[in-house]
Amino acid sequence: MPRERGDLLKDLMDAVFLMNEDLAVKAAKEVVAAGYDAYDAINNGLVAGMNKAGVLYEKEEYFVPELLICSDAMYAGLEILRPHIKTDTAVEKHKVVIGVMEGDTHDIGKNLVKIMMDAAGFEMFDLGRNVPLASFVEKAKEVNAELICMSTLMTTTMDGMATVIEMLKEEGIRNSFKVMVGGGPISQGFAKKIGADGYADNATNAVDIAKKLAAKGGSSQGRAK
Amino acid sequence: MNTITIPADTQTPLERVLCYLKGEKPQRVACFPLILNHAARVLGVSIGKYNRDGKIMGKSHVAAFRRYGSDAILIFSTTSTLAEAMGTKMEFFEEDAPQISEPFIKERSDLKKLKVPDFSRDGRLPVYMEATEIAVREVGSEVCVTTVLAGPLTTAAALFPVDQLTRDLIKNKAWVHELMEICTQACMKFIEEILKRKSLPIIVEPIASGSLISPVHFKEFVAPYLKRLSDHVHKTGGGMPAVLHICGKTTPNWKAMLEAEFDMWSLDNVDLGQAKATAGHRVVLVGNVTPANLLKNTPEEIDAEAKVICEKMGDLKGFILGSGCEVPINTPPENVDALISAARKYGRFDN
Repeated sequence: MPRERGDLLKDLMDAVFLMNEDLAVKAAKEVVAAGYDAYDAINNGLVAGMNKAGVLYEKEEYFVPELLICSDAMYAGLEILRPHIKTDTAVEKHKVVIGVMEGDTHDIGKNLVKIMMDAAGFEMFDLGRNVPLASFVEKAKEVNAELICMSTLMTTTMDGMATVIEMLKEEGIRNSFKVMVGGGPISQGFAKKIGADGYADNATNAVDIAKKLAAKGGSSQGRAK
Repeated sequence: MNTITIPADTQTPLERVLCYLKGEKPQRVACFPLILNHAARVLGVSIGKYNRDGKIMGKSHVAAFRRYGSDAILIFSTTSTLAEAMGTKMEFFEEDAPQISEPFIKERSDLKKLKVPDFSRDGRLPVYMEATEIAVREVGSEVCVTTVLAGPLTTAAALFPVDQLTRDLIKNKAWVHELMEICTQACMKFIEEILKRKSLPIIVEPIASGSLISPVHFKEFVAPYLKRLSDHVHKTGGGMPAVLHICGKTTPNWKAMLEAEFDMWSLDNVDLGQAKATAGHRVVLVGNVTPANLLKNTPEEIDAEAKVICEKMGDLKGFILGSGCEVPINTPPENVDALISAARKYGRFDN
């Protein structure tokens, strides 16, 4: 007898926010074996757990180590559930290009933002760290992204963000994308000065800002050819 | 900003800093802009050269002191320098500080191969030592020369990828403590080498920032090890103070930091007035003009920001004006001047 759907969802949620990867794997396998909806299990189990972890992070009860281990559990569960998503339940996602500026190899902050945005339902295209500035523009065009997210911890590389925005302008496609920035030396004031659309000072905040920007539809419609 | 007459300094930078250590009132508040790699800009050499040549590093700091007249010299390259000497590989850039390219520990079992480095030979430690000697020899009678070393957790995070290390704070506690033990021993040796050269060790522990790890982990993995370092300075330093710098947010960790018994804290993204209320009875506080503002703002804005900080500190006792973290490499010199002038203007004890 398979366990109730509700029990399994609760296990998936608990597994993620209580940092229990083994439980996430076990519950995900049970969902598949019982034939329950994988998409439902992801959203109302794993993602719900990650959101709960995000709330604890906001409250400064969880920090980077906790969020990373929560995400390990989430991704372990996702790996099992994803192949079982029925195509008709899959939803079109907002596409986001994310990376750390050229010259900077610090990527913890970027990784946290990626994890939280992933959990929030964005489709993430992660360029990694030390990303050549032109790659942000190229990738965004290639995948038809709505958002470009740039991160840096260093004062020597922060001006690269302004350069990327200039590149978009030069190509006449600035309005095709929303641009978000963040990282140690970055401030709201700096974001405004370089003409970015959004600034976030932590990973959960980044999700809120990204949702607002995506809702404004800063997107590919009307892109210059 | 020119309506106030700026009183001339009557003490040398060294005399001023010694007042703090003796608990006497200096003529004015001292100023520590944390000039690190920026010193290369003053001498007009590339950041790459500065980081690889002890003579150039030493001379850069002497030149920066001559140019700005700050109250401390801070010999520094990266927070990974100790780890580099223990086997971590770095990537070097012409116009930026080196960054980690390959941490030494790939498998946890590599910990067995980890040793306290030889300071006469390993990595760029000889560069640091030579730079320290040059600065002490040339200007040590006028200014407090310090050498910056990364603390145990920051060194550990340069030896083992930081995302894995932070996970292991929860998943492999005993292993992390083993790693911390070796890093602490390496830090203690570093402190001895710095003290031997008549420089003041400054311990920096950015990975222990409240932006990364929890107060619970700070108490378990940071404070006890830092305490051993401050004890070491107190025991072997001949009266030198134990100095700690932690970047970013630190407010939730101040109580644990107090227990580590440092004499001076350099703080970054915090309310320094609040820090004074918590720790001012025990600790001299250094801070905390926003580093990115030094790079991007005008001298007038720097002056205004420094003024607000001075006002927050109230009676100014036990306060040193400074930057919250490293003065950005490409900071315009006039902004460093503005910061030091602000100490002369707003850091007065005579009115």
